Amino acid sequence: MLLRNVFTKTIRDLRWPTFWVALGMGAMTGYFALLFPTYSKIMDMNALLEKMGPMAKIFGSSIGDASTLIGFLHFELFSMMLPAGMIAFAAGLASGFTAGEESRGTIDVLLSYPVPRRRLVLEKSLAILIACFVIAAATGLFAVVGAALSASELPVGPLSAALALVVLLSLAFGAIALAISAATGNRGAAIGVTVALMIAMYLIDALANIVDGLNTIRPLSLFKYYAGHDPLRYGMDLGDTAVLVSVTAVFLVIALVAFERRDLAA
Amino acid sequence: MTAAIETEKLTKYYGRSRGIIDIDLTVESGQIFGFLGPNGAGKSTTIRLLLDLIRPSSGHARVLGLDIHHDRLAIDRRVSYVPGELSLYSELTGGQLLTYLGNLHGSIDAIYRDKLIERVELDPTKRIKSLSRGNKQKVGLVAAFMIRPELIILDEPTAGLDPFVQLEFEHLCEETRSEGRTVFISSHQLPEVEHLCDRVGIIREGRLLAVESIADLKQRALRRLEIDFGGSVPAGAFVGLPGIRDMNVHDGILNCTVMGSVDALIKAAARYEVRNVRSIETSLEEIFMAYYGSGDGIAAAAGAGEASHVAA
Ligand SMILES: Nc1ncnc2c1ncn2[C@@H]1O[C@H](COP(=O)(O)OP(=O)(O)O)[C@@H](O)[C@H]1O
Ligand SMILES: [Mg+2]
Repeated sequence: MLLRNVFTKTIRDLRWPTFWVALGMGAMTGYFALLFPTYSKIMDMNALLEKMGPMAKIFGSSIGDASTLIGFLHFELFSMMLPAGMIAFAAGLASGFTAGEESRGTIDVLLSYPVPRRRLVLEKSLAILIACFVIAAATGLFAVVGAALSASELPVGPLSAALALVVLLSLAFGAIALAISAATGNRGAAIGVTVALMIAMYLIDALANIVDGLNTIRPLSLFKYYAGHDPLRYGMDLGDTAVLVSVTAVFLVIALVAFERRDLAA
Repeated sequence: MTAAIETEKLTKYYGRSRGIIDIDLTVESGQIFGFLGPNGAGKSTTIRLLLDLIRPSSGHARVLGLDIHHDRLAIDRRVSYVPGELSLYSELTGGQLLTYLGNLHGSIDAIYRDKLIERVELDPTKRIKSLSRGNKQKVGLVAAFMIRPELIILDEPTAGLDPFVQLEFEHLCEETRSEGRTVFISSHQLPEVEHLCDRVGIIREGRLLAVESIADLKQRALRRLEIDFGGSVPAGAFVGLPGIRDMNVHDGILNCTVMGSVDALIKAAARYEVRNVRSIETSLEEIFMAYYGSGDGIAAAAGAGEASHVAA
């Protein structure tokens, strides 16, 4: 029964958004995996990237070999589409966890039952973590199936690493959105600031490959820890993973503390 | 016995604007207490402070003897609350919402809950978003009463209830009181709650003006009486009777105002032939106004049907 507690109720609330995002991302990934042989027959990806010259580096410091499926997926999806999509999913929903209950006015009734404010935030956070992993798993599954159907080689290890990093990056942005909305009660501000931050961080990381001056501030961008260590070739880097997890944890704690202390909107 | 609610210099400022100031209020258990004041007086602020939804600027409060902040979870198991602007998860059905809230509470008597659903004639299979305001209120009332709260706090509950639900609601309040439990109702309209309440507290511009029992107020009720005697009667026969004011006798008709009991006057009048007696009772509203009122008081808020008072 999905109405047992705040966690299961949130899973219930998230089930359809999760389903549709998983389907969308999965279908997109599966589509590219399925059509990869056709694409590579029509055009030589590596030659194309070469022709772009230094601009190609915008897709990553070392984009690997675009003539392999995994390199192609990185170039087409993992460099922007998948992280942007999942960040939007995680941040969009997390920003509504407390602020949505406040603006709808349901928080008064909810918190007049014996639910600690902290548990409310934690249980909802756990639900979005699971939702993100479900989306990543579905995406991976579609990719593997698509690759099998098109008889392309797709190494599962690097694929899993890249998907796990998409989740961790999204959870970090989700935690930022959660912290802003828990501290202010303002869902719009939480979404706006988080999206602006995502775009700024993305640009810093992408442009740092071609503009040397940006390298000094590159560590401020979460995207550096997402793909900077080239997970498709080397798997997950412990240090970079730790940075993403720590950022998530810090903003989750900020959300917990801020929400605990605040006057809630009527 | 511990008081149901006890506040001590409870104060809340929103930034620099006034919410409530130095509220010292004690509500004893086992009564129905009316918390009265015009819009913007600070009723919802007081209630939301008691529920730990907002935090006081200064002062303290205890509910059922427990600290409102540190013992919030213990309080929430024993106290229920129906907010003024009742918002519920509209995508759920009434039944699903009651299941969810019951699970959050942890120990609900399902048989009692179902009895309540029947009593207010709620259809639990309908989605909340499809319910009328009155039917939504039913869900809120069942949710509040189903935990058999030791204290139930209702913020302006009577707005929008249809007469049948209103009656059932009043029965529920009276049952709660008869079991020694406590009901706390806020309202900006005295006539809506005066017949229900044992005591009322009056709040205006953030300050508690008075706490009175309804019985005491009624004691002070003023009545205008007009007695038509067939023939002439000596005015002297009624002078000096207890509680009589503004008396005059004209063409065999006596007009006066009586405070409290009319017993002495009626007994004095019975010595003469009485053709007709007219009695006009002043409402508690008017008594309130006489004691506490000015233009922006309760009476004005209630009488005009809307609040003309806006806090600076
Ligand atoms: N969130 C808030 N921010 C600023 N002022 C508020 C807020 N809530 C209430 N107030 C102010 O506090 C006063 C008391 O409001 P409230 O407790 O809602 O009154 P009531 O419930 O008696 O109508 C009003 O002047 C109102 O404008
Ligand atoms: Mg109010």
